[in-house]
Amino acid sequence: MKLRAALTLVSAVLLTACGVNSVPRSEENAKARWADVQAAYQRRADLIPNIVATVKGAAASEGKILTDVTNARASATRIQVTANDLSDENKVQQFQAAQQALSGSLGRLLATAEAYPDLKSQARFGDLVTELEGTENRINIAVRDYNTAVQAYNTTIRTFPDAIGAKVFYGAKPMVPFQAKAGADTAPTVNFGNTN
Amino acid sequence: MLLALVPALLLVGFGTAPTPSKAAAKGYPALTGRVVDAAHILGPAARNALEQELALAGAKTKHQMVVVTVASLHGRNIADYGVGLGRSWGIGRNGINDCVLLIVAPKEHKVRVEVGYGLEGVLRDEEAGHIIQNDILPPFRAGDLSAGIVAGTKAILHEIDVPGATP
Repeated sequence: MKLRAALTLVSAVLLTACGVNSVPRSEENAKARWADVQAAYQRRADLIPNIVATVKGAAASEGKILTDVTNARASATRIQVTANDLSDENKVQQFQAAQQALSGSLGRLLATAEAYPDLKSQARFGDLVTELEGTENRINIAVRDYNTAVQAYNTTIRTFPDAIGAKVFYGAKPMVPFQAKAGADTAPTVNFGNTN
Repeated sequence: MLLALVPALLLVGFGTAPTPSKAAAKGYPALTGRVVDAAHILGPAARNALEQELALAGAKTKHQMVVVTVASLHGRNIADYGVGLGRSWGIGRNGINDCVLLIVAPKEHKVRVEVGYGLEGVLRDEEAGHIIQNDILPPFRAGDLSAGIVAGTKAILHEIDVPGATP
């Protein structure tokens, strides 16, 4: 009797320490943070048609740049990475590359818009730029939180004793973090009367 | 004196709340009340006015707004600093995140409105942007930081004057 009680106790301790709970918990957390990343990028994608339309109204001659942005947005929204794809390095990198391409063309569009005083003086355009700045900030924070969650998850599944449960019960694979964006800090920022 | 304050506008929800020691380690001031004047720029009258307004609004809507002035951003951008500060303080009610921070960094000439997820719908980016442009920056440019902070706080409280969800 005593032995059985002891065994139960030991197995309880072993099971709780082997990742039966901690692995799915940190996996769910990373997936939830990924959903935030997607939502933040989607928010930006939703803003872009308005920005393009507003710029077009005042700077129709910038057709090439406007088309680039629209195309980049289309490419970026075409690439969807579900929570189950997060261990797929290719997919995550494609997603990231497409979003960065969109950031680049969007930056060029805003830099071009600087040359149009009519545009800069439009309250509507100023609001859109403010919203875009807000969205970019949300993206940065969502990406950072996702990377933190991925790091925690990857550490969990590689560290003894959780690694046992990760392997035996879940077949857990490491997830792919976002790379630090080259030039993230130097991304073109546009000020429309916000700097005084 | 022409004070050039660059509004970096952005509102992001706050998540987890680390321990106070971690907060101190990152150079965040302690959360001592609804007004945290770590940069010592508020006059006594402005401070009283702010505390009264904030307490009154807080009692009514239950949203948590804190006005904070910081001596230094420690080289970080104010958006990062603001999110980190909000998270380390853990303000906003659990599960609702109905908090707003008005952050003024006089040394770096930055001002920012940080909004928790729970109030993003009520105080949107462009509304926060208008408040910074129309209510806060004009007195700041005239050299009156206290007046800008009081006017900005009133405008923000007006925007978020809607009853919050129940936790």
